[in-house]
Amino acid sequence: MPTAAELVSAWEGRGWTTAAPVEHAVSGVAESRWIAPACLADAVRAAKDAGFFLESMTCLDRLDPHGVFELLYTFNRFDATRRVALRVWSPRDAPVPSVAAIFPIAGWNEREAWEFYGIVFDGNPNLTWLLLPEGTEFRPLLKSFTTPPPSVYDGRLSPDGTPAETAAPTDESAHDHAGH
Amino acid sequence: MSLPTITPATEPLDTYTLNMGPQHPSTHGVLRLVLTLRGERIVKVDPVLGYGHRAHEKMAENRTYAQFLPNTSRQDYLSGMIYNFAWVEAVEKMAGITVPERALIARVILAEFNRISSHLLWIGAFLLDLGAATPFLYTFDDREAILGLLETVTGSRLTYCTGRFGGLSRDLDADFPRRAREVIAKLKARWPEIEALVEDNVIFRHRARGVGVFTRQQCLDYGVTGPCLRGSGIAYDVRKAEPYGAYPRFDFEVPTRTEGDALARYEVRVAEMVQSVRIIEQALDQLPDGPILNTDSAGIKKRLKLPAGTLYYAVESARGAYGIVIVSEGGTEPYRAKFRTPSYANLAVILDAMPGTMIADAVAILGSLDLVIPEIDR
Repeated sequence: MPTAAELVSAWEGRGWTTAAPVEHAVSGVAESRWIAPACLADAVRAAKDAGFFLESMTCLDRLDPHGVFELLYTFNRFDATRRVALRVWSPRDAPVPSVAAIFPIAGWNEREAWEFYGIVFDGNPNLTWLLLPEGTEFRPLLKSFTTPPPSVYDGRLSPDGTPAETAAPTDESAHDHAGH
Repeated sequence: MSLPTITPATEPLDTYTLNMGPQHPSTHGVLRLVLTLRGERIVKVDPVLGYGHRAHEKMAENRTYAQFLPNTSRQDYLSGMIYNFAWVEAVEKMAGITVPERALIARVILAEFNRISSHLLWIGAFLLDLGAATPFLYTFDDREAILGLLETVTGSRLTYCTGRFGGLSRDLDADFPRRAREVIAKLKARWPEIEALVEDNVIFRHRARGVGVFTRQQCLDYGVTGPCLRGSGIAYDVRKAEPYGAYPRFDFEVPTRTEGDALARYEVRVAEMVQSVRIIEQALDQLPDGPILNTDSAGIKKRLKLPAGTLYYAVESARGAYGIVIVSEGGTEPYRAKFRTPSYANLAVILDAMPGTMIADAVAILGSLDLVIPEIDR
């Protein structure tokens, strides 16, 4: 079976890798490469064909100063630890190709990245809230998110979205708004 | 902001929907499953998550490395010790802090006791899901002995926070090895009883055998780890694959079963407790005298700054591979902290493995996963 080094040399041989846009090393992995966003799905498919599983996906806010989101995918193998890191820089408003069709678990990881950062994954069949309440419109893991917006839960909003001075929410209406 | 379209349900008319949870006893936490059924067959399962979301990853970005320590054991409250040490070890690795020998071995002892207590709780709760109340009392009696022992060292019974960068917050007292061996003797005396009560019980075997089979391909697709993976015949354990701390110096095996069903996952966890006891006995024999905390680290723990870079650090929790990603920009707080929790993938696999099974098996399958919902929701 291909090792981590063979997998990344296959990526390089197909021209999918790019130069590092920033000096920022990853430790705890055997190999690490930057991939162009357009080649992401191909590179992930190659990892799956080589017997790797998608171990984790991390999203980073690099909007200030770079104007991009960084996605860090790690792949691993069950037979021996040969962790491979794949990194992508994606411009703020460009959709990222979904890899949920290759690794179903990515469907959930992408839903998380969408609800916490607002990244749109092109091809995800069900890009909706996973951990946050349905209807949440703020993106809590953005660095620009520092204080929570007004909420019915802290009494600053009524369930229909008007300020609480005109209609103080009751416990019952707050419960209804939660929708659970 | 533009919201993507949510695909409407397009199920045929001969199916119906059953809402299981979020306050269902078998979910052991706040988890909701929307089951689509045709007769008694499950056609589709849609887990609804997030009831226990507390934004640990956002909290980590707003706390120093030391201030985040109490959050760690609140992600997985059943193997909190292992999570606490994972964070401590990840930070130590990035900062280059050395750990005294005694602390390394003590961490293994405490973590393995924590693993046994987690498995004992699971056995009791799983049997309770299947309708057997008595094993719960047996396993909780044993678990109580372990909690009492850990309380004497850590001061806590569940949400441990005893790890410090460079060692432990308190030393093991001189009497600890004797009390630890007493607890082990109690566990060993109890195992034949539990075996007779549970494993030889024909009702249990019929409820668990052949139920919720995970194939090797499903495990690869979803990244299943821990006893759920080893029940499907893959001997992957982070303690062996990527040894950390003092684990390389101990002799233990990675138990596996090939059936991939709920019974296999039960057998793997029982066999794992035996291996954990093996590790603890060796560690107690090897426990050296000396400092429990790197004295150099005492002065830096409040103002600790990590060099810029990204680290992936993995440990084996009671539920599987737990990964921590720390991204540092050189400050006193992480720029980003991501937690790869094992139950997340172990739950997701039911999207594929549960359709086609009977509704009566849904509770058995869910129970066999050993889910801790707060670590999924984080």
